[in-house]
Parts: sequence; structure tokens; C-alpha cells
Amino acid sequence: MFPDAVADAESLLSEAGFEVEFPRAQVCCGQPAFNAGHRTAARRVARGFARAFGHELPIVCPSGSCAAMVAQHLPALIERPPFEIWELSAFLAAHDSPVPKRNVGRRLAYHDSCHMLRELGVADPPRKLLEASGGTLVELVRPDLCCGFGGTFSVRQPEVSVALADDKLAAATGADALVTADPGCLFQLWGRAARTAPSLPVLHLATALARGVGT
Amino acid sequence: MTDLAQPPDRFREEARAQLADERGSAAYDGVTQRLRTGRLAAWDELPDVEKLRERAYEIRMRTIDDLDRHLSAFRDQVEARGGQVHVCGTAEEARAAVVQIAQAAGATLVAKSKSMASEEIGLNGALEAEGMQVVETDLGEYIVQLAGGHPEHIIVPAIRQTAPEVAKLFEQVEGAPVSPELQELGNVARRQLAEVLRTADVGVTGANFAVSETGSICLVTNEGNAGLLTSVPRVHVALLGLERLVPTLDELAVLLQLLARSATGQRLTAYTRLVSGPAGPGETDGPEEFHVVVIDNGRSRLRETRYREMLACIRCGACINVCPVYRKSGGSAYGPVYSGPMGAVLVPLLARLEHAPSLPHASSLCGACTEACPVKIPLHELLLELRKDLVEERVTSGRERLAFVLWSFVWSRPLLYRLSTTLARFGQRFAPHVGPGRAWTSGRALVPLARRRFRDRR
Repeated sequence: MFPDAVADAESLLSEAGFEVEFPRAQVCCGQPAFNAGHRTAARRVARGFARAFGHELPIVCPSGSCAAMVAQHLPALIERPPFEIWELSAFLAAHDSPVPKRNVGRRLAYHDSCHMLRELGVADPPRKLLEASGGTLVELVRPDLCCGFGGTFSVRQPEVSVALADDKLAAATGADALVTADPGCLFQLWGRAARTAPSLPVLHLATALARGVGT
Repeated sequence: MTDLAQPPDRFREEARAQLADERGSAAYDGVTQRLRTGRLAAWDELPDVEKLRERAYEIRMRTIDDLDRHLSAFRDQVEARGGQVHVCGTAEEARAAVVQIAQAAGATLVAKSKSMASEEIGLNGALEAEGMQVVETDLGEYIVQLAGGHPEHIIVPAIRQTAPEVAKLFEQVEGAPVSPELQELGNVARRQLAEVLRTADVGVTGANFAVSETGSICLVTNEGNAGLLTSVPRVHVALLGLERLVPTLDELAVLLQLLARSATGQRLTAYTRLVSGPAGPGETDGPEEFHVVVIDNGRSRLRETRYREMLACIRCGACINVCPVYRKSGGSAYGPVYSGPMGAVLVPLLARLEHAPSLPHASSLCGACTEACPVKIPLHELLLELRKDLVEERVTSGRERLAFVLWSFVWSRPLLYRLSTTLARFGQRFAPHVGPGRAWTSGRALVPLARRRFRDRR
């Protein structure tokens, strides 16, 4: 869905001195089905994930909610030992990885992914990295509030979902870009901004760090 | 008569109506925000809120594990003090029990204080059907009653009514103009309700907790009306959810430290009282009769299930005040009684899943509710479990189930997965015209799929 963000994540990891492997047999982790209640379908897909990713190497994932799914639910779902999975910014921060100074003078709003924040407890690393990239953080009003995506929720209750995205976009007024580390939130906020706030760039964290927020 | 069951489309329809009401939406934003801020400040004052929450959880779960024994101890104590306990399996039985008590007392006027259990069993309609007049004496509930509606928040029933709207409602009772100033509205309500409180034959209250060791019920309010209702009318009926028992006063004290703080940000409410039985010989105040109507209505069947933690709920509303979805959808979307995350879990459990199939999905699973719950109920995880049950009990449509099965066959196999993402690129222009794609694009653009995937670039 966001191939550039994956490429940017890879370049951040490479620049930080890590060797990145990309298992070509990888598939989805099953989260969409799991969260919608379809456990059998989720299990089938999760097994596909487990076939592609072993337990030998740490897994780095540029998505808060996918990392939360793999960390919190997948082992019990398919009866496997826990995976060593990291959300990208948590991994970079834990290894004191340097990031390029590409956001000097930029005002950046960071949106917390709910699953990343509450299931993984990752709140500071993305903020610290954005600051290390030279940007100034503009804290959103009520950063605890969901952007309204919620997987199938976004199409079951589109009106409420969109209203929540509107609040989030309004809270980011005054920032040069709205940055998030979760493709779900990105899909939602980008999609709404394209309709109502085309001047506000909505970017994946990896992109904001690797390339900087555009001028 | 209140029925917890609700049609599948209700949530979306009511939410749409709420979103169209700008002033109401502002009220929802403002009130929930204020209550949330209050809770966080009040929690901060505690030396170790986490430890207190864990203790509260432990007390609640231990009591629920042994509910029969605690209920029987409670009953013994109440009876020893001259009160009566009526254990009712269903809402219908509970309504009938109260109606019978009121009729036996020859009641024409029944005054009530705030009770969600009363809303749950649809008590007002049942009493009115027997020719009795029923008046709510909690200010919020009174407003809601005059408006002919239902509470839209378990703590703040009239959450979206504005002062001018309230003035209009009071004018109908007053038969004269009422100024929409808050002080004046308070005075008018007090005057209108004082007469009710003075002349009611039966006082009906809820019960925040019931203490087994003393046979007392605990009432946590801010307006003092409940205190009058438990002492002035000849008969006092307390409605008690079966699970709200607490073994001892010491354990009650633990829960009280959390209840008001989590609900309104107060250390204690203005009136937190224990009521133990009718007036004794020689006592000048207190009712002649004291009845506790214990409501099961589906609760006991949850004890042996994975949903038993929901019985720990102390009805503080903290989950409601942090819920992004509730804030937008409003309380009505969840049905006429319980709303927000606690309602989304509890209503399908009490009414049975097939009667409230939209509620487990009325959440973005953001987890704010679980984080806010003072008794540590994993609300969003319970919603996830309910969604699983919806699928397994085939309440979820066959179409959706088939779609996920097909999806899982494709997305679990690397070759098909790659093929599907290639096809998706060609198919994306059709997406806005089918099912979920249509719902998505009604308010949002679809991210265009890139010509080259990451895997194509390596």
C-alpha cells in the first residue's frame, strides 16, 4: 500500500548500519480478519506470516498495529513462541540510530497509532526521532484520541470514522506535516486530507525521517 | 417499555443524526472532556492508583466468584433488620416485583432517584401502565423524562440538553415562563421536585453497591434527592444489579475511593450514604418498608464465561468519557440504556448477541476504555471476543464470512498474495463502486496503489 514508506524504512535501517533482509514469501499478519472477529481466516493468514518469518532474526515493522498484532495476538492465535518484533521507531531508538537532519525548521505533528501507543507502549521514540531529524514537534490537541480508522470500523461506521479524522486533521493545523507510524492511520488521514485539507502533507514516519518533509 | 435489544442499523442512523446536531456535538465534546480531565486529576492525587485499581479488580472478581454466598449473606442481614429481598431472574420479574410492592402500598405517586437498573428493566412504563404517576427526581433524569427521552450517558443523563431547552421543558410543568439561567433552573427544579419528594408514596432508588456483612445499600449521588427518597416516603425500593455486592465495609471503602474519582473527578460525591433497612422502633425517620429488588436479567449466566470481568463494572462512565466513538455517535446510538464501551460490551451480553449485533463493532478498538477503567476491565478485548462470537454464531452475514475466507486463502499464500496486489492495482478504479469501497470513498480518497511495489524494486 505504501511501498515508499517501506523503502524509506529500509534506507533508515541501512544507514544506521543494519543489514536488512526482505523475506519474499511474506504475507499479511492476519490483523484485518482478527480484529473483525474472523479467527479462522486470521489464523490461516497468520500461519503464512509465520512461514515467512522465523525466530532467528529480529523483525522490524514500519507499522505500529501490525507489530502489535504480531507481538500481542499472533503467538496465542497460532500457538507459536513469541516473535522478536519491533516497531520501526522503537527499534531505531533502542539502538541509538542516528537519523539524517532533514527536517530542520519544520513543524511536525505526530499522531499516535492507538495500538502502537496502548498495546506496544511506544510513544516517545517517534517523537524523539522527529526531533533528532531537526523538526519541532507540534503536540496535537488530545493526542490520545483515535483517528477513526479502526479497520472494518471505517466502513461500518463511515460517518463517525470521518468525523474523527476531521478532528485529528483540525488538530494538526499549523504544522508543516502530519506524521504517523501506522499505515492504517495513514490510509485514513491521507484519504480524508486529500478531500478536505490538500495542503497538509500526511506522511509515514519513515518517509518524514528518510526524506524530510517536503518544502 | 425499555428493551435492550436494538436493530442492526440503529447505531449508524442515530450517530448520523447526532453528527448533524452541532450544538449537541459540542456538548458531547465538552462534557466528556471535562469529566476525563477531572478523573485524571483525581487519579493523580492518589498515592498509587495502579495498586488501587488492581485491588478493586481483585475485590470485584473475588465477589463475583462467590456471588451466591454473598447474596445469601446480604439477604440474611436485610431480613434481620426488617427489610425484604426479592431476587428476580428477568427484567419482567423485576418490574412485576416493584409494581406489586407499589400496589400493595396503595401508591399513586412513585418518586425515583437515578438508577440505570431501572432504565434497564423499563420500570417507569410498567408503573405507569398500572395507573401510577412516576417522577424522576435526579435533575438530569427529570429533564430526560420531561423531554420524553432516555439517558444518553450513565452519569450525565441529559448530556446534550442546553439551558434554553431545559427552560422550555420546565415551562410546561410551571405553566409560566422560566428563565434559562442556571441558578433559576435549579430553583425551579427544586420547587417542582420538592412537592414530589414530600408526597410520594414510594421512593425508588438504585444501589451503587450492597454490603453483605451489614445488609446495607450504598447510594452515591450529588443532589441529595436519594437521601429524601430513602427516608420520606413510606416505602423504599432499591434496585440492585445482582453483581453489585461487596462483602465488607472495608472493601466498599476501596471501591468508593475509585467510583467518584473515576466518574466526576470528585474524591467523594456530595452525598454518599449507606441505607440499612426500614425505620426501627422509636426511630422517627426512615421508611416503614424497605425492599431490595435484585436484578439478574442475564448477569448470572456471564459468571462462567470469558465475559465474567464485565460483571466487575461499577458504572462510573470513565470508559464513556474517553471513547472517541461515543463522543461522535452520542449515547442514543447504543440504545436507550447503556452507552459507550461499557454499553457496547454489556448490552449484547444481556440482550444476547443477535439482538445487538452492531454494538461489538461500534468501536475502533483504540483501547482508551481499557486504559480508563478503574476496575481494569479489558473492554476492548471483550469487544474483540464478542466479534469472534458474532462470526462463530453466524450472526455476521454469510457474505462477510465468505469474503474473509476467500481473502484468507489468497493472503496466506505468497504467490496469490502477490497476484492479488497486482490485480488490485488494475482493479482500484472500481473500488469506489463496491460495498466497503463505496463507504470508504463517501468521505475519503483511496490511496492510489503504486505501479511498483516494494518487492518489485529489490
